Amino acid sequence: MSTPTEAAPRADPDGERVAAALADDLDDGFAELVRTYQGLVYAVALRTTGHRTDAEDLAAEALLRAYRSLADHDPAWLRELVPRPWLLTIVVNTSRNQVRDAARRPRTDGATVPDEPVPGPTVEDRAEQAEVTEHLATLLARLPETQRTAVVLRHVTDLPLTEVAEVLGCPVGTAKSHVSRGLARLRTLIAETGDRP
Amino acid sequence: MSTDPVLVRLAALAPAEGPDLTDRLFDGWLTTDSLLGPVRVVCTRDGISFLRTTADLAEEDFRAAYRRRVGRPLRASTVVPDDLEAALHGDATARPRLDLLGITDFQRDVLAATRTIPAGETRPYAWVAAEVGRPGAVRAAGTALATNPVPLLIPCHRVVPSGGGGIGRYIFGVSAKQRLLAAEGATGVGR
Repeated sequence: MSTPTEAAPRADPDGERVAAALADDLDDGFAELVRTYQGLVYAVALRTTGHRTDAEDLAAEALLRAYRSLADHDPAWLRELVPRPWLLTIVVNTSRNQVRDAARRPRTDGATVPDEPVPGPTVEDRAEQAEVTEHLATLLARLPETQRTAVVLRHVTDLPLTEVAEVLGCPVGTAKSHVSRGLARLRTLIAETGDRP
Repeated sequence: MSTDPVLVRLAALAPAEGPDLTDRLFDGWLTTDSLLGPVRVVCTRDGISFLRTTADLAEEDFRAAYRRRVGRPLRASTVVPDDLEAALHGDATARPRLDLLGITDFQRDVLAATRTIPAGETRPYAWVAAEVGRPGAVRAAGTALATNPVPLLIPCHRVVPSGGGGIGRYIFGVSAKQRLLAAEGATGVGR
């Protein structure tokens, strides 16, 4: 679990408000946290697991873990919390645990490893766009885990590098390197599969 | 804004909208009346999970107790579950759905056995222990009942010491236990 840190250069505009709400009343503050970040949590979960149902389960599980951790801290700690990277660290760790647990037990439904295309937008007239999106998501799922997480955080959810580093638990330079290697690998995969960029 | 087509397409991988997880994460609590006066009750999506009298726990303590027990956030609710009010006023035919969270299998068995004791009757702690197949675990059965998440709905007040040991303890105090048993017409207790 990470500790609160100084705000990043491109600081989360909602962070202070959510932290103050948590310090004021844990349950009301948590409702504010969920409203503020559940879209982001779901986006990271979706592009990490590769499946919508799994993503929803992962997002809910990570948020409950976050709640239990918040409940262990006093208001002074909560007020200093930088919620966004802290929360995404829990999402990434929860996802890792689930993948690891899944690897330890026999696969029954094949639903926990991100090796299948994610369904794109469901509206029919966006089918072509969906196909392109699915294809990129599939290629993304083929990246090594840390590179995939780095690319998702930086380029899908547009997190500043400082926060990507905090979530990955590494120096900013290392995070930057994970992002560039991930992108390079992704470009190679795009070229190999004959997909136009 | 990047013009690199790969980066543009990556940015488009963020789902336009995700599910609202609030209903899934939060349990609802409300205040209602009972034979023991006002009570606060928590309902999950699957049933009633916690009940305490307002006299026993202030709102803040009630929420903290629930947080310690099950680690789930609470929000105020106005939706009263079916059968709850009838059950809290002694209607034996009203059996609201329960969702017993954060308890052991042994506690679950003890509570299930206790729920079968009819109004107007009592059973000794030893009966409950025997009923769950652990006849030696009389004290543990008593402990399990002392932390009953849903008193009144699971009538732990109907479990008493065997052989003239008074009516035993109760989460909300001995006099509350006496009042409930008297209201149900239970005989032969407290002598």
